[in-house]
Amino acid sequence: MKVSYNWLKEIAGIDAPVSEAAHRLTMTGLEVEGIEHIQDDCVLEVNVTPNRPDCLSIIGIARELSALYKTSLNMPPHDVIAHPGDLDFNVDILDYDLCNRYAGRIVRNVKIADSPDWMKQRLEKCGIRPINNVVDITNYVLLEFGHPLHAFDLSKVKGHRIRIASAGQISGGTGIKITTLDGVERQTPADTLLILDSENPIGIAGIMGGQDSEVDGNTKDLFIESAYFDPASIRRSSRALGLKTEASYRFERGCDIKALKKALDRAAYLMKELADGELYGKIDMYPKKFTPVSLDVKYEKVNRVLGLSLEKHQMLDCIEGLGFEIETSDKSFSVIVPAFRKDMTRDYDVIEEIARMYGYDNIPAVLPRAAVGIDSPAHMSETSSQISSEIKQALLKSGYTEALNLSFMSESDLDLLSVPQDDERRRVVKIKNPLRSEEACMRTMILPSLLINLMHNLSHGNRDVRIFESSRIFISKEADSLPDERHSVCSIYYKEKAKTLYPESANDFFVVKGIAESILKDLGLGSCSFVRSSEQFLHPGQSADIYSGAQKIGFIGALNPIVFDKLGIKASRPTLIALEFSIDTIGLCSFTQPKYRQLPKFPAIDRDVAMVMDSGFAASDLKRFVAGYSSDLIEDVYIFDVYQGQNIPEGKKSIAFSIRYRAADRTLTEQEIDSLHKSLVSHLSEKTSGQVRQ
Amino acid sequence: MSADLSNIFSEELQSATDLNGLSQLRVKYLGKKGIITAELKALSALAAEERKAAGKRVNDLKSSVEAALDFKEASLKSDSLRSKLLSESIDISLPGKSSGFGRQHPLSRIMSEITDIFVRMGFSIEEGPEVELDRYNFELLNIPKDHPARDMQDTFYVSDEILLRTHTSPVQVRVMQRQKPPLRFIAPGRVYRCDADITHSPMFHQVEGLMVDKDITFSNLKAVLRTFVHQMFGADTAVRFRPSFFPFTEPSVEIDIGCFLCGQAGCRVCKSTGWLEVLGAGMVNPAVLENVGYDPDEYSGFAFGMGIERIAMLKYAIDDIRLFFDNDIKFLKQF
Repeated sequence: MKVSYNWLKEIAGIDAPVSEAAHRLTMTGLEVEGIEHIQDDCVLEVNVTPNRPDCLSIIGIARELSALYKTSLNMPPHDVIAHPGDLDFNVDILDYDLCNRYAGRIVRNVKIADSPDWMKQRLEKCGIRPINNVVDITNYVLLEFGHPLHAFDLSKVKGHRIRIASAGQISGGTGIKITTLDGVERQTPADTLLILDSENPIGIAGIMGGQDSEVDGNTKDLFIESAYFDPASIRRSSRALGLKTEASYRFERGCDIKALKKALDRAAYLMKELADGELYGKIDMYPKKFTPVSLDVKYEKVNRVLGLSLEKHQMLDCIEGLGFEIETSDKSFSVIVPAFRKDMTRDYDVIEEIARMYGYDNIPAVLPRAAVGIDSPAHMSETSSQISSEIKQALLKSGYTEALNLSFMSESDLDLLSVPQDDERRRVVKIKNPLRSEEACMRTMILPSLLINLMHNLSHGNRDVRIFESSRIFISKEADSLPDERHSVCSIYYKEKAKTLYPESANDFFVVKGIAESILKDLGLGSCSFVRSSEQFLHPGQSADIYSGAQKIGFIGALNPIVFDKLGIKASRPTLIALEFSIDTIGLCSFTQPKYRQLPKFPAIDRDVAMVMDSGFAASDLKRFVAGYSSDLIEDVYIFDVYQGQNIPEGKKSIAFSIRYRAADRTLTEQEIDSLHKSLVSHLSEKTSGQVRQ
Repeated sequence: MSADLSNIFSEELQSATDLNGLSQLRVKYLGKKGIITAELKALSALAAEERKAAGKRVNDLKSSVEAALDFKEASLKSDSLRSKLLSESIDISLPGKSSGFGRQHPLSRIMSEITDIFVRMGFSIEEGPEVELDRYNFELLNIPKDHPARDMQDTFYVSDEILLRTHTSPVQVRVMQRQKPPLRFIAPGRVYRCDADITHSPMFHQVEGLMVDKDITFSNLKAVLRTFVHQMFGADTAVRFRPSFFPFTEPSVEIDIGCFLCGQAGCRVCKSTGWLEVLGAGMVNPAVLENVGYDPDEYSGFAFGMGIERIAMLKYAIDDIRLFFDNDIKFLKQF
């Protein structure tokens, strides 16, 4: 809220330099976000928190200042003498719950003109455009008292009558149409409170007046309204109508039901002074009386909560001048809360008042006594966070850079990747009010975000992109229940054919697979297998699902060229290897704890062999068959060459591998090895239908 | 005679330039039929009185020849190795073969710095769902429906009762419902608000913290958060505690640090105030304690929260929040 400092000084009765006053306001809870010097005045930009609607006014802020500076508040003149006599005007409140009080005055024979300069300038400094004296006065009082008023052209109020009722009460359950001051025809919901004359709605209560009863250049007689409406109701209506005004902003935060009469009289006073209005008697319907609460505060508790040791009189001194009535007793004191402090509902609120007026900076800082303990976080199990942090570190050290994306996606991202309709990743959580259609769902996979990042990088000239993201994905469950939130890590390794200083011989698939295998080994995940994947977005011949035992824990694979086409990537032989791990599933797997094995005491002997197999033969089967041969003397087998081409028949390939033999208790003899090796080779040859290559 | 022999040997040794020549020389003097071997054999023919002196002379000569040959051999071997190694010289100025390490995202980096500080102070780490119930995000935190405090946080909704959490504070409620005090934890995570411009992202990160026990005071809050600020931003950083409002804390506080960009002289970033707001905090509102079944007369506590993007933007002088989520490699590799 913008406020003129001269105006504040006048009401608060202070004469402090603006910077000092601004600092003291900031340090007691009214943050001054900016000071603008205009002519001989300053405009303060005050950030008023939602709990302090009383400070959406000059008087409210001045009250804080007068409490700080120990001055007394100068209330602006508001005593008026009205013409006696019958008003011939009725007000009926049909909904007491939504309208707790309704007051008004009739002012006759006003002369509509420009406001005096001093008023115009004050309004402008506070960000309000002057219009004419009558409208300006209601706005001036709004700023001064924080209480919204509304002036109706009396001649346009039919039947000498005002009714306050919800739209539903009038229309029999449905809404009602009204054209507001801004010229917009609006359909009000049934629970919106309206101001009506004997025939039609003439305003939306607490939000905006109607066009039909607007004050204009020909207006002579006025009805000025000063009322109190239920804050929650005003807020609901304002949101439903998409209409926020200075009035609704204050009503929904809570106005001063007791002071509304003063605001009304202040406006009447100004109407007489500045528009030559003749004042007539007042209407004041007050069906729901305000009953102040009394908060009992123990002196001891104030010190206990704040960590202070204040004397009783120091506490009371802090909150003097804030408008509280205080009664003291031996161990406690009670605060009778004024109507403008709706935020104060329990003793803690009083403690806060003491703390902020005493000054947070004056409270000592004392470290708490430590309660030592270790507890296990339940939501994300410790293993999950460990696994994700280990994978993250491994990827960083393998040359991947970490990306972070918004958690949103669009369903068309799943179409791009040809994710089947019955796949669980189609069970998306939809957002009712997304900012953009591309962000209408919560992600069920991370890959689409990384592909968007890739496109961004390519269009900015970055051709070598290795990134990963570790975050949550969201799989919808039944309606009304929270979705399944799972931790996932996905990475992409994108390369184009480029000139390199050193030869790079391996297929990128194996580079990434090497990283994946190292990660799994490091995690202590035993017996992982790679099984051809059926993911549509991966290259069918260069992709695999990763299993630990029977548990699928991720996938690896080259991006299907169809996806490259859809993305419109036109580069020289691009390859993209995606790798994804599902952290929570890994967490369910069994981990092997390191266990010491005796170091070998006797030498090993290696024997090489090459076999010609069908080209579809999986190298991993070779290990399986070697393991299936029963002998304690075979220590290891490793493949050192796979060859297709010259000298190898079509549809075949040659696999060369080395077998390592070792006995735990002796040095093996050549003869032993020869016969064992021969027998193993013929076993393998039988199992694989492979021919030993001579 | 021996003196002559010694001179001849020296000359011959000098002219031997490779290991092969040296080995021939060794045979010539020390081999079975070598010159010195022959002289040693000849000693037996001498009279006893002469033999002693001559024997010493020949043996001395033999040792010095052997030593000279060994020395020369070692030096030739080392020369040859040196020239072999020199011929294998490579251009050590060429770059290494590595794709280099990847870089941690700047937000992750800041997040780890923050969590490390609190973990060192004995806080544990908790998590909670990002798609959350209205009850946990608002109601149990003392923010009823139709309350203006909801304006502080524009919310994405999934249904009437389900939303994307607007802050990490619901984790407070979930943990307190589950556990009894003493509690001391932080909850880092993603949060969502429908707002997008150069300083607002519809998704951003927060770190929430909570400490609840008997006799936790406002002065404890000050000490813990001041310690944090000094660890995070440097021990000389000015800190001030300013009253504010959050529905779930009472008293509430906002914590400003001295603007390190202008040395508190006033700049665009601190809006000429010399202060930067970095943390919101407060004593846990007794209404929240009651909502989770704690007795506010027995327990008290404080809560705090901070935005990671804001801290990262201040620390790295980044002026557009969207840079964090474009994931341009050239941006990410700067950190």
